[in-house]
Amino acid sequence: MSRSVWKGPFVDGYLLKKAEAARASGRNEVIKIWSRRSTVLPQFVGLTFGVYNGRKFLPVLVTEEMIGHKFGEFSPTRTFHGHSGDKRAKRV
Amino acid sequence: MAAQKNHRNEAQASRVCVGVVTGAHGVKGMLRVRSFTENPVDLAAYGPVSYEEGGRVLDLVVEGSVKDALLVRAAGVEDRDAALALKGTLLYVPRAALPETEEDEYYHGDLIGLAAEAMDGHSLGIVRGVHNFGAGDILEIGAESGATVMVPFTQAAVPEVDLEGGRVTVDLTAGGLAEEGADLSTGNGKHG
Repeated sequence: MSRSVWKGPFVDGYLLKKAEAARASGRNEVIKIWSRRSTVLPQFVGLTFGVYNGRKFLPVLVTEEMIGHKFGEFSPTRTFHGHSGDKRAKRV
Repeated sequence: MAAQKNHRNEAQASRVCVGVVTGAHGVKGMLRVRSFTENPVDLAAYGPVSYEEGGRVLDLVVEGSVKDALLVRAAGVEDRDAALALKGTLLYVPRAALPETEEDEYYHGDLIGLAAEAMDGHSLGIVRGVHNFGAGDILEIGAESGATVMVPFTQAAVPEVDLEGGRVTVDLTAGGLAEEGADLSTGNGKHG
């Protein structure tokens, strides 16, 4: 069952402050966060967060498609190292 | 710089592993193959594949798929015994057989093994892996063993990728490494 609309999305308060500060500074830096439970909000689009997975901070570049998901979804706690094959990476 | 490029061995640079034979299917020599390509059925799209030792070459035709493997017919493999003999064999295609990439697009295999340097020239180690967990591509950088860090593969964090020179340049601030206390190239970074 989805969360009640009147409650709004859950976000840890410190994360909002950090995001605001990063946007105000204009610097292109990774914002380190531990709050995997927080929802990705529209004002986070374009920012890069380092989401802690229990061992390290994984960079999460927020895009519009990610709005409404939780940060933890993009920072897996168990990593499978596969073969590279013909896979490609795009530098954005 | 040339010495740094030697982190990558020549065999790795000249060929790409596209799959592994996991067993036989049926009695007519069909192979079960786990594909490592982005689109699994592209296994046979890059021409004949060579064995692990680089000796024999196989022409593959993808006939179908089962739960976690492709069913592949290989020329010259006519019965189940011949198919089982290939179990565990890694299959390679020449790196040159892969199509050209677009601008600012790189094969994972080309990036892995490159030396990573900070903007001021000091070594951060090598690129140990390339990941994508749904929020952009990430370079895993660290010494050959030990701690690694994750850096977003963006223009800001990785302003320069020099495949010829065998190195990538990392902006520590944009890469989120500005607070890293230890020299990653020694494998004694803060993060495990």
